[in-house]
Amino acid sequence: MYSKEIQKMLIKEKIEIGDKILLKQNNKEYSGVLMPRPELGDENCLVIKLDNGYNIGIKTTDNFKIKILEKLKPIKKTVEKEKLEKGDITILGCGGTISSKVEYKTGAVYPAISQKELLSNFPEIKDITTINTRSIFSLLSGDLNQKHWKIIGEEIEKELKKDIEGIVISHGTDTMHYTSAALSFMIQESPVPIILTGAQRSSDRGSSDSKLNLLSSLMAAKSDFSEIGVCMHSNLNDNLCYVHKGTRVRKMHTSRRDAFKSINQLPILRIDYYNKTVDSVNKYIKKDKNRKPKINLKLNENIGLIYIHPGINPKFIEKLSDYDGIVLAGTGLGHVPTNAFNDKNSKSILKEIQGLIKSNIPVVMSPQTLYGRLNLNTYTYGRQLKQIGVIGHLCDWTPETAFTKLCWVLGHEKKMEKIKQEMETNFVGEITDRSVVL
Amino acid sequence: MKKESNLKCGLEIHQRLDTHKLFCNCPSIEGNEVNKKYKRKLNVVKSEISEVDKTAQFEKQKNTDYIYEFYPEVCCELEIDECPPLKLNQEALDIVLEIALNLNSNIVDEVHFMRKQVIDGSNTSGFQRTAIIATGGYIESSKGKVSIETICLEEESSGIIKKEIGQSTFRLDRLGIPLIEISTGPDIIDPEHAQEIAKKIGMILRVTGKVQRGLGTIRQDVNVSIPEGARVEIKGAQELDLIPKLIENEIKRQENLKKLLDKLKNIQLNEQLGFCTADVTEIFEETESKFIKTAINNGEKIFALKLEKHNGILGIELLPNIRYGTELSQYAKTAGVKGIIHSDENLEKYKINDEEIFQIKLSLDSKKEDAFVLVAAPEQIAINALYKVLERVNMHFIPLETRRADKDLSYFMRPIAGKARMYPETDIPPQIIDTDRLNKIKNKKGKGLEDTQASLEKMLNMDLAKKMLKSKYLQLFIKLTEEGYDPLLVANTLEQTLTELRREGVNIEKITDNQIIKIFTEYKKGRFTKKAIGEILRYTTETEDIDTILKTYELNKITGKNLEKIIENNHGNIGEIMKKYRLNIEPEEIQSILKNKNKKL
Repeated sequence: MYSKEIQKMLIKEKIEIGDKILLKQNNKEYSGVLMPRPELGDENCLVIKLDNGYNIGIKTTDNFKIKILEKLKPIKKTVEKEKLEKGDITILGCGGTISSKVEYKTGAVYPAISQKELLSNFPEIKDITTINTRSIFSLLSGDLNQKHWKIIGEEIEKELKKDIEGIVISHGTDTMHYTSAALSFMIQESPVPIILTGAQRSSDRGSSDSKLNLLSSLMAAKSDFSEIGVCMHSNLNDNLCYVHKGTRVRKMHTSRRDAFKSINQLPILRIDYYNKTVDSVNKYIKKDKNRKPKINLKLNENIGLIYIHPGINPKFIEKLSDYDGIVLAGTGLGHVPTNAFNDKNSKSILKEIQGLIKSNIPVVMSPQTLYGRLNLNTYTYGRQLKQIGVIGHLCDWTPETAFTKLCWVLGHEKKMEKIKQEMETNFVGEITDRSVVL
Repeated sequence: MKKESNLKCGLEIHQRLDTHKLFCNCPSIEGNEVNKKYKRKLNVVKSEISEVDKTAQFEKQKNTDYIYEFYPEVCCELEIDECPPLKLNQEALDIVLEIALNLNSNIVDEVHFMRKQVIDGSNTSGFQRTAIIATGGYIESSKGKVSIETICLEEESSGIIKKEIGQSTFRLDRLGIPLIEISTGPDIIDPEHAQEIAKKIGMILRVTGKVQRGLGTIRQDVNVSIPEGARVEIKGAQELDLIPKLIENEIKRQENLKKLLDKLKNIQLNEQLGFCTADVTEIFEETESKFIKTAINNGEKIFALKLEKHNGILGIELLPNIRYGTELSQYAKTAGVKGIIHSDENLEKYKINDEEIFQIKLSLDSKKEDAFVLVAAPEQIAINALYKVLERVNMHFIPLETRRADKDLSYFMRPIAGKARMYPETDIPPQIIDTDRLNKIKNKKGKGLEDTQASLEKMLNMDLAKKMLKSKYLQLFIKLTEEGYDPLLVANTLEQTLTELRREGVNIEKITDNQIIKIFTEYKKGRFTKKAIGEILRYTTETEDIDTILKTYELNKITGKNLEKIIENNHGNIGEIMKKYRLNIEPEEIQSILKNKNKKL
């Protein structure tokens, strides 16, 4: 937003964003199209787009004059009513860079998920399949929570009642692995594939990974794979994508296009879009359009995920009693400080954890190492945790998967005993029985 | 001054700055070793104002794979487009601000980086980050002022090293090196004037001492148009001396194209020709034409295109040995073929015989006044190439083009880029340029070209001053003379002695500025003579330790008692003494000893 003074000046001169204006600052003169003010920078600088396409910022200081040269001509938008064709694969839009467009005039990002837009941006889709498209919402994935997972689940449930080959969900990447894990628990034994995909480079740049990710996802959604999967670049080349199991995948890099990795397991499928091949890398449940899915969309929204660190304050743990359930990301094999050797400088949080469990708040362990399996038998503090009823011994889940699972289990289960039993039972590949060497 | 034939000509100078990369902390130097190669595709995206850029679409048709060679020592995630830009290199910005001040330009109050779409693969991101730092300003020249339009700070692109059908290979080491781009107005009067301005801008840049030196660190683009011609952007003029000829050739090419268009009008050839092609591979089954045979053996097809009423037109020369057909060939090449053969050429050269020509014409249903074009390539590429040829033929005007300079000639690269290529780089916040910063630069900055030239001329003779101004040791010269060293001695050492040593085969690139400064400091202490400086420089490529050099090569200066003894032994014969001790004794010191003696007597 421009400063109040600038806004006043613009109103006085009847100038709006998009108008061509002339600026005079001392003896200098500039003409260009008035642009919206970016969030950062000096709100007293007017931003104009020069004829050569460059933007520059000009300060409205002394001897400043502004004049309108030309009003913005409104672009005539003919709103064509789209004739929807029925397609084999449904693309559900949940936001994120893959399905968004930048409105450069205002800087706003809006969903671009209409059938027509997708087909015109990615005409290659036609060579793979036919599509239906629908935008559920358009949000940054960092703003999503259990409520949104539930909405997505409901939309999937609707789609599964139709005669389709598969579902592709476009999603922001930051928390895509949470959503994929949650959906894995909520919708089990799906008759058709449900593939989440996103983009690490926004679609407005030539180097975007969105095209390969989307096209590969469509290939995955047509394949005989039938679980919840995440389909993203497998490496830094624009050639191959992997489909990862929804409960096994994790975003492992802030920005690389191959940020998504399967943890403790191989990915499921390797998709080679350019050679049109789908290879299986790991076991999976096969497509069966006659299968009835098991759907349970109830989630507890009041779960905490806590990162254990040296010197963690016991009082902080005590205060976690506002949550209905806690997942700890522990050190090593699944540890927290318990002051096992009674050192005068150490602080234990064992009593506080026990307090939580006693007040019927399940506490679940997960590894901050991400790789490897928990084992609460090896060290003293592990045994202490196990003894007081911390859940997760021998589980090889990621903190995020443990978290979404607890959301789901507490959505339908209240009894501690049952909760522990369900948590430590494998449902959808979140706990494996063999630690494979990769 | 009146302009030659209403020529419109401007320059765009790109110069690498002597600082680390623009948006990361990688050094701006050449890489040594490739450890990885990445393969990428680029998509065409809509621009800020929602027109897909023409050039972008054009490149897409080529559907290329882009291979990037990664140099781990000088490239990070940013070069391979795997992370957002870190922060703007403030030193680079300061250098551009200094140059803008020297060119009397108006500096913007807030810098906005833009993404300029480039889909030729030279940027892994698909765009180049660029910002206007200043507008306006001028350069004085022998033919009046030439205006500056814009001064930009931008990222260097990656360097193309191989181009094959469907695949281009680039090296990433230079991607992201900061560049200053100076664009002049179309005020250049004639081809020689262009050279003068290019030279002058080059000097203005070098005088700051903050730009890179050496091959490939500066590039000149030339914009040329003539009345009823078209604006043509010629990229990458390497040698300044060839710029006048390059521009003259472009003027001639456009003038001859104008004549050719008139001719076509006269034979009423202004309708759009249709795309009439034929697969003529079979005709060449038993051909003696070696290259056609090889193509067919490689599974390629031979395709022919009919160009109605063009018999004789394709052979018209635009420049010596450059025919209209050559222009068409350049368009065909953008589709990935190596070139074309056309019917106005001497086809015997390719061992294509009359029977084959007859058969080609037959399959195209050609009349006598028609011409044909042949290509050899995989089917789809061949058809695309011929379509490019047809598109060019159907342009009944001189097209706006971006061309690549090759010595004094230029070749078609792509249609000229429109302004639709820009959109804001949202990953880099706008940067405010306040007066404090500008004042600091004003106080710290060097003298600028004119003042430096004047002060050199005060210190040195005209000839040496000129040499020094262009010298890569200019900054070192300024530093040493500011510290009180004799300008003539410094200039001679840097410009003559070092050149002589280089000619003798000494690797003077190994001698650092610091080592030269050290040698001068020791010289000032009186440890060796003026004449010995050259020898010390020679041996400093072997060891940097001056004591060792002086000892090993007996280069210590002889003074005091020892000198007196030598004078005595040689009966004060200066000529004789200098013959024996050329490198160890300053003749002035003999003279002063002799003078003192005489006084005493």
